[in-house]
Amino acid sequence: MAERILLVDDEEGIRKVLGLSLRDAGHTVFTAGCGEEAVAVFARERPSIVLTDIKMPGMDGIEVLGRVKAADPDAEVIMITGHGDLDLAIESIKRQAADFVTKPINQDVLEIALARAAERSALRRQVREHTRNLERLVEEKTRELLAAERFAAVGRTAAGLSHAIKNIASGLEGAIFLLERGREPAMREYLDEGWSMLKSSVERIKGLSLELLRLSGRTMLCIGAHDPDRPAREAVELFLPRAQELGVRLTLSCGAGFGNCLFDLEAMHRCLVNLVANALDACGELEEGGGAVSVASARVGGRLEYRVADTGPGMSEAVRSRVFTELFSTKGGRGTGLGLLTAKQTAEAHGGSIAVSSEPGGGALFVVAIPARDAPPDAV
Amino acid sequence: MAAPKVLVVDDEPHLRVFIAAVFRSAGCETATAANGSQGLEKAREMRPDLVSLDLMMPGEGGLKMYRGLREDDVLRAVPVLIVSAVSPGAFAHSLAMLRASLPEGLAAPEGFVEKPPEPERLLAEARRLLGGALHGD
Repeated sequence: MAERILLVDDEEGIRKVLGLSLRDAGHTVFTAGCGEEAVAVFARERPSIVLTDIKMPGMDGIEVLGRVKAADPDAEVIMITGHGDLDLAIESIKRQAADFVTKPINQDVLEIALARAAERSALRRQVREHTRNLERLVEEKTRELLAAERFAAVGRTAAGLSHAIKNIASGLEGAIFLLERGREPAMREYLDEGWSMLKSSVERIKGLSLELLRLSGRTMLCIGAHDPDRPAREAVELFLPRAQELGVRLTLSCGAGFGNCLFDLEAMHRCLVNLVANALDACGELEEGGGAVSVASARVGGRLEYRVADTGPGMSEAVRSRVFTELFSTKGGRGTGLGLLTAKQTAEAHGGSIAVSSEPGGGALFVVAIPARDAPPDAV
Repeated sequence: MAAPKVLVVDDEPHLRVFIAAVFRSAGCETATAANGSQGLEKAREMRPDLVSLDLMMPGEGGLKMYRGLREDDVLRAVPVLIVSAVSPGAFAHSLAMLRASLPEGLAAPEGFVEKPPEPERLLAEARRLLGGALHGD
């Protein structure tokens, strides 16, 4: 088999003669007159076999062997040794040389050495090929698995959506019934009830389709310079009346201040609104009533952190593992499971993350962390 | 005959209003509850002739209330109409699960209506379970 061979020897005569006979045998031959040149030619030509004299002025053959093996462990190096260089020859074998031939070079011995070196490198290539095949196989199977998993997630998503839509349909069905009955003079009070049911059902449909839209598209952030405490403050203000109604203590602690940061205020607001709404709903589930939700904003290291903690019934491991990956709701008919998916998307679009820690009976803590990018002083 | 009393238990406020209005339109007296424990309390208080119950409420509310009804000496005989968003096929399955989770000898729910509930279906089931004519028939 034709090989690409680098021949290194400080004696020009040997380079010429040996070079000729190797070329005659069909190999491509590069030559170098010293160790330094050998390293340079090796780097440029990347031969598969290096044939190097062991004793050279300057960089010797052992050093060349070391450099070649360091640059390409798959390259095979055959040492050319003089009479009585046996110790050096053995040393070079220890350092991963493929073989050694002694001067004066016997053509047959050289051919055998070359053939063995070529075989070694072919074997190595084969092993690598197999490994690559194996890797490709694993990659293929992994892709198939992921696709199957996505399909399953789509199925669960559809089931979750169907549930949410059924509940909205119930509201519409109810509105129709009440409005029809309300037309009878004795049932006037049904008109108001039916009317408000119709309005809120339409609101819910609008909300659902908007959330779906947000989820389906790539999130385009609208980054601006804002007070990093603002989304937390606004989310809490928004829910104070609802918290009072539920008898839940809703508290705020702002600590992210000192200068504006760059983030999408609207998206972060929506994200925190979702988290606070969930936290309040969780506390509302407590049969004994009460409960507390605390919202905090802070700068931790180079990050903005928003923490929403509740003292609700908490989540099991099984629930925790699903909340961010599919439409999953623990709220019976009222939840769509979209809130946490969009919250996660918002966090990730900012280059951040969202995490939950919770135990059954131990409340829940959601932490949204995004890089704190300080706004330039003149930014608005 | 006195007006039949129906207790409507659902975590969804609209459905409480709607389902209660359907029963009232047929001459029933109604009361509502938003969760299982509230529902049991109301049931002990009013002694309903029929309970309309959403099983899929947050937590274990619906199921807990169902057990509570079946384990109560007085309320045991009250027919329970499940109003649920699960399909009839899935309901049969969850019924089997329910039976497995209930103590031996506990009766299954007497009726089932899939959400969104149609007024006619609700009243047809109520008629069947109350064993008498409702107002408007």
